[in-house]
Amino acid sequence: MAKHRLIGPSAWVIGAAGLVIGVGAAWLVSMGNPGNMGLCIACFSRDIAGFFFGANANMGGVAYIRPEIIGLLGGALGASLLTREFRPRGGSSTLLRFVLGFIFMVSSLIFLGCTVRAWLRLGGGDLNALYGVAGIVVGVTIGAVMLRKGYNPGRARKLNVAIGWTGPIIAGILLVLALLWVSGTSFSAFTVTPEKAKLFPGVAVVQGENVLRPEGASIVDGAVVAADGEELVAAEKLAAAKPAPGGLRAPFLVSILAGLALGVVAQRSRFCSVGGIRDVVLVRRFDLLFGVIGLLIGATIANMLFGQYNLGFVGQPVAHTDALGNFAPMVVAGLAAIMLGGCPFRQIVMSGEGDADATMAVVGMIAGAGFAHWQGLASSPTGLAANAWLALGVMAVVLVAILFIKRERIA
Amino acid sequence: MVEVDARGLSCPLPIMRAKQAIESNPSELRVLVDSGTAKASVTHMLSDEGYEVTVSDGPDGFTIEATRS
Repeated sequence: MAKHRLIGPSAWVIGAAGLVIGVGAAWLVSMGNPGNMGLCIACFSRDIAGFFFGANANMGGVAYIRPEIIGLLGGALGASLLTREFRPRGGSSTLLRFVLGFIFMVSSLIFLGCTVRAWLRLGGGDLNALYGVAGIVVGVTIGAVMLRKGYNPGRARKLNVAIGWTGPIIAGILLVLALLWVSGTSFSAFTVTPEKAKLFPGVAVVQGENVLRPEGASIVDGAVVAADGEELVAAEKLAAAKPAPGGLRAPFLVSILAGLALGVVAQRSRFCSVGGIRDVVLVRRFDLLFGVIGLLIGATIANMLFGQYNLGFVGQPVAHTDALGNFAPMVVAGLAAIMLGGCPFRQIVMSGEGDADATMAVVGMIAGAGFAHWQGLASSPTGLAANAWLALGVMAVVLVAILFIKRERIA
Repeated sequence: MVEVDARGLSCPLPIMRAKQAIESNPSELRVLVDSGTAKASVTHMLSDEGYEVTVSDGPDGFTIEATRS
């Protein structure tokens, strides 16, 4: 009987990758990204959705094609091409993956962050994320039990090369649009413009000197004044207002290069924000768990060094303090991620490896982000939206239904 | 020789099937996978379980050959 190793070399490699991702994310915050949001697949997909649908979905404040996402996919593409791991494949319940990506995203936006950001929030001292992480553990464990009971989305097949390139081509188009946008081109067809901004009672959306919302308002002596002369937001209040998440961003080049580097690290290491817990529960393997532990350590230390660490529950960046409202959505998101075969971070990476099913999951995620904001399901720092619990209930039922439909008999 | 065809399976099914296959403690095992992720996870698991592992690359994926004395 040969020796059995509980922790092998792969654990240290994945742990180091997690460390790099955690430090990289904290650094991106120091470079200008929103708090504890150096890297968040949910938040960034939402910002991309906001860029396209912002004018119609009450998301003018979160409209930005996040270069990190393009970089991640591009880095994974490059690394997989160089290592002959770029394999066009797909056809494993492709449409269901759209649904799972969609559900993942809506529940993440109720928590306020994806399964990666849950760990990053914890690494920034946001203790509300403890409830989120507990939710991930529960959701992942449910998923692991169902995997053991025979959940299987089916086999993917080798596909035509062109289909494998769908994800990278979408990323390429986003890159072109992002480059045009940073070079000053405005896209009146997509995003919020003064002409298209919808009236959103009680809230003014200001971009530089332009008032995008409410319609017809302008800035007079530093205050937002409506078309009929009524002062809507006082000058002091406007000066103290924080920009919405989409307005906080690291420089374009920093974001894209960091994304590329992290994409290479993620593709080579197979880092996953849910796979670690899953493998411990399912196959008693600890190496992937080292990834999230590394990320947590890296983010905590780097946040402390950058002076961004803030331990506590209250006043955390882009977070709410509803304990159950932090826990429950991460149960749903964790389960959806397991049903997809990996967290959203990995879906982006696999999309770069030519996995058309992963690309479909990413498209579902962006659609889910747009839907969550259009229907007002996303949470705000003040708490959950009115219909959030209804949405979580419906999504949980859909997940359970998929689990039973996609179950194969095990002899 | 025990053979596991895990091609096209989503994570973590390849590692689950491979783990199941080594429960009978075979001295030789072959696992077929078609993604880099499955290749890595199965390879790492088998070498941690004490197998000598070699991987070959073909048009339909990767063949992982594992042996132990």
